[in-house]
Amino acid sequence: MTSGLMTAREAGLIACVRCGLLHEKKIHECTRCGAYLESRDATSIQRVWALLFAGMITFVPANVLPMLKTNTLVEHSESTIIGGVFELIHHGSIGIAAIVFIASILIPVGKFIAIAYLAISVQRKSTLNQHQRHKLYEVVEFIGRWSMIDVFVVAILSALVQLDTIASINPGVAAFSFALSVIFTILSAQSFDARLIWDTDRTAHAK
Amino acid sequence: MPNDHDQSPADFDLRQAARPIWQRISLVWLVPALALIISLSVAYQNYASQGVLIEISFDNASGVAADETVIKYRDVTIGRVEKVEFAAGLSDVLVHARIDQKMAPYLDDDAEFWVVRPDVSVRGITGLDTVLGGVYIEGNWDTEADEAQYQFVGVENPPITRAGQRGSVITLRARDGSALSAGAPILHKGIQVGYLETPELSFNGRDVLVSAFVEAPYDRRITSTTRFWDTSGFSIKFGASGVALDVDSMASLIEGGIAFDTVVSGGSPLVEGQLFDLFDDEDTARSSLFAKPNQEVLNVSVLFEQSVSGLSVGSEVRFQGIRIGQVSELSAFVVADRDDQQVRLRANLEIEPGRLGLGPDASTEDALGFLEDFVLRGLRARMITGNILSGSLQVEFLQIEDAPTAVVRQTDDGYPVIPTTKSEIADVAATAEGVLDRINSLPVEELMSGAIDMMDSFERLANDDSLRAAPASLNALLDEARGLIANEDVQAVPANLRSALSDLNKVIASADEAQIVSKLAETLQTANTAVANIEEATRNLPQITAQIEAVIAKTNALELDKLVQEATATLASIDKLIGSDATADLPASVSAALDETRLFLAEVRQGGAIENVNAALASASAAAKAFETSVQGLPALSNRATSLVSQTEAVVASFGERSRFSAETLGTLRDIQAAADAVTNLARTIQRNPSSLLTGR
Repeated sequence: MTSGLMTAREAGLIACVRCGLLHEKKIHECTRCGAYLESRDATSIQRVWALLFAGMITFVPANVLPMLKTNTLVEHSESTIIGGVFELIHHGSIGIAAIVFIASILIPVGKFIAIAYLAISVQRKSTLNQHQRHKLYEVVEFIGRWSMIDVFVVAILSALVQLDTIASINPGVAAFSFALSVIFTILSAQSFDARLIWDTDRTAHAK
Repeated sequence: MPNDHDQSPADFDLRQAARPIWQRISLVWLVPALALIISLSVAYQNYASQGVLIEISFDNASGVAADETVIKYRDVTIGRVEKVEFAAGLSDVLVHARIDQKMAPYLDDDAEFWVVRPDVSVRGITGLDTVLGGVYIEGNWDTEADEAQYQFVGVENPPITRAGQRGSVITLRARDGSALSAGAPILHKGIQVGYLETPELSFNGRDVLVSAFVEAPYDRRITSTTRFWDTSGFSIKFGASGVALDVDSMASLIEGGIAFDTVVSGGSPLVEGQLFDLFDDEDTARSSLFAKPNQEVLNVSVLFEQSVSGLSVGSEVRFQGIRIGQVSELSAFVVADRDDQQVRLRANLEIEPGRLGLGPDASTEDALGFLEDFVLRGLRARMITGNILSGSLQVEFLQIEDAPTAVVRQTDDGYPVIPTTKSEIADVAATAEGVLDRINSLPVEELMSGAIDMMDSFERLANDDSLRAAPASLNALLDEARGLIANEDVQAVPANLRSALSDLNKVIASADEAQIVSKLAETLQTANTAVANIEEATRNLPQITAQIEAVIAKTNALELDKLVQEATATLASIDKLIGSDATADLPASVSAALDETRLFLAEVRQGGAIENVNAALASASAAAKAFETSVQGLPALSNRATSLVSQTEAVVASFGERSRFSAETLGTLRDIQAAADAVTNLARTIQRNPSSLLTGR
C-alpha cells in the first residue's frame, strides 16, 4: 500500500517529533528545538499499557463510589454515575441521561478499548486498517481533552450549591477517581507512538 | 579494494542485546501500581467505614425507607437503613441498617429501637422534626459495651427512661390501673420529678405494677417512709367547711399522675427498684404512715339490726376516736333464731392490728385476743354519724359501762362477731327536725296565757267590787262624819263640851288621879297602829311588783327552756298570789278596817273626841293614797310583761333567721353556691377558650 514511501528510519535519519526536522542518527538532540530524538520509542507500548491500566483501575471506584453528595433539608443522598443516569431516566430526562451516560461511561470505556486495540494491534504487528487505526488514535487524542466534563460539572455544582443546611453539594471520592482515570487515559493515549502503526507495514514489506 | 569502495559495507544488524526483564520494565508501571494501591485503600476504607449490618424487626415500619431513614442515638445519626423487607410469613417488617462501627459493641441485649413519629400529647409535641424530615429510627442502650448483637426486635413506643439518665427506678403497686398511663407525671410538691412507665398486671393478677422513674436528685427525697398517692383527675371534698375542688395540673387531669411526699424522716434510703404502694388519695397515704401498708388485717363481722344505709365499703372503723380499720364488705345475713329467721345486716371490718396499740409486729391473733378481752369488759360496736351533711356512717367501737355480758362468737364462715349496741345516727334532716321540734315544744302558748292571766288578775283586782266600794265606804264614812258634825248632838257638843270640859276638868282632875287621859291616848295609839298595818299591807303591792320585775330580769338572763318554764311558773305564782284569797280579801280587809273605824267613830261620837277622828281620817286617806300608788305600779308591770313577751318573740324569731345553726347552714349553702359558681366559671372558661385545656393557660 504505502510501499512507495520511505520512512526516515529507512533513510537512516531521525525526525524530530516536535518540529519535524530530520537529523543524523548519531544526533540525540534536535538542533532546532532541542527535543530528545529517538527513532522509535521503545517504552511506548509499556507506558501505554501501564497508564491504561492505571486509568482502568481508577475508573472502578469512579463508578462504584458516589460522585455527588447532595444534602438538602429533607434528605441526604449520594449518587454514583450510573445511579444518577438511572435517576434521570426515572425522572424522564432521557436526553440528559444519554449525555451523562455517553460522556461518563461510553467514552471512557471506548477510549480504553480503543487504546488497548491500538496497543495490541501494534504488538501483533497487524497491517490491517492502518489508516483507520491512525484516525482512531487521533480521535482518542482529540476526545481526551473533553473527558473532564463530568469533573467540571461536579466542581461547578460544588462551588455554586453551598447553601448550608438548605442544600449543599459536595464532590464524592468518585470525582477524584474519575479525574485520575481521565488523566491516566490521556497520558496513555499520548504515550502511544503512532509511528508504530506504520512500522509493521514496513517490516512486513521488508520481509 | 576500489571496487570494494563502491560497495557500502553491509548493514549493521542493529540488535540490542537481550536485557534482563527488570531492566526492560519501565518505571511507568509504578503508576498503575500506585493507582491500584490507592483504589484498593479507598475501597477498603469505604468498606471499613460502612458499618455493621443489623436487623431490626418491627410490627409496623410506616415511613421507614431504605437509604433515607437514619438511625439515631441521642439525636445523633449513627446509621442508615439499607433495606426494608418482610420477614418470612409476612409477620414482621425487617429493617436492615448499617450502624457506625464504633457504636456496634454497645448494641447488646438491652438495646431498643423504635420509630420516631410526630406525637401530640398533653405533655407536649414531640417528633415535630419528623414532619419535614421523615421518620427516623431512634435507639436506646446503655453505655456499657457487652456482647454485641445483630438482631433486634423494635418496640412500638419509645421507652420513657433513656439510657444515661440519672435517677432511680422504683416500682409502684396499685389496686387499679385506670388512673395510670405511661408517661404520667410524678409530682413532688407540685413539681414534676419523674414519670411512669407502662402499667402492667402483677404476676398473680391482683395488683397493677408500674415502674416509675424519678430523676436525680429528687430521688434522694424518697425513703422507705415515702408515700405515693394518686392525684389524677380532680377531687371534690364536701364537708362542713364547704366544698373544695382540688385540681392538679391539666396533664394529670387527663393522663393521671401521682405524687409523693416523705413526711417522717429516718426511713432507710431508696433501693433501686423498691416497691411502693400507691394510695388513692393524699389523706389515705398520709394516714398510712403509722401502719404497715398491706399488713395482714383482722377480719371481724358486726351484725346490725337496723339499716346500714350510709355505711359503705371503706367507711372508717374507729376505736375511741382513732381509726383502726375500715369496712370491707356489706351483706345481708340470715340469723336462724329457733323457729323464726331474721335478716341482719352484716358488715365485715378490716381491723389493722398495728393500730390497736399492740405494737407494729402485732399479729391478727394478738388483735383478736385483744378484742375478745375488751368485749368481755363491755366493748360494743355501733354505727355513728361520720358526716352529718352527707349522712355517711362510721363504725365505732366503744366501751359501755355495765353492759350485759357478751363474748365474741364466730360466724359460720369463721368471722368473729363483735356484739353491737344501739347506734347513734343523726342525719341532718333528723337534727334539723329535732331543733324545730324543740322550738315547737316551747310553751309559748302557756307563756302567753300566763301573761294574759296576770293581766286579767290585775284587771280583776282593779275592778274588784270591794275595792270600788272603798271610796264609797269612805264617802259614807265622811257623810257619817258630817252627819256626826251636823248632829244636834254635835252642835251640842260645844255646850256639852263645855260642860264636858268642865266635867273633863273634873275628870282630868279626877283623871289626874285615875290617869284616864293617858289611857285614852293609848287607845288612840292602838287605832293608829291598826291603820298603819293596813297601810303596810297595801304597801306590799309595789314590793310584789318589784319582785316580779326582778324575776323577769332574772328570767331574761336565763336559758330559753328554763326561762319559759320559770316565767310560766312565776306568772302562775303571781296569778296565784293575785288570785289568792288573801289578796282578794285585801279590799275586804280595808273595808273591814274602815268599818271598824266607823264603829270606832261611832264610839268616838259617843266618846266625842273629834281630833282623834281627824287623825283617823288622815290615816285612811294615806291608806287610800298608798293603794293608788300600788295601782300605779300596774302599767309598769304590764310593760314588763309585754317586753318579756316581745323578747320571747324575738328569741323565737331569732330561731328563724339569726341562730347559729341557721347561720351555719346558710354559710354552708353559701359555700356550696360558691363552689358551684367556681365550677361554672371553670366550665365557662374552658368553653370560651378550649385551647387552654391544651396549653394550660
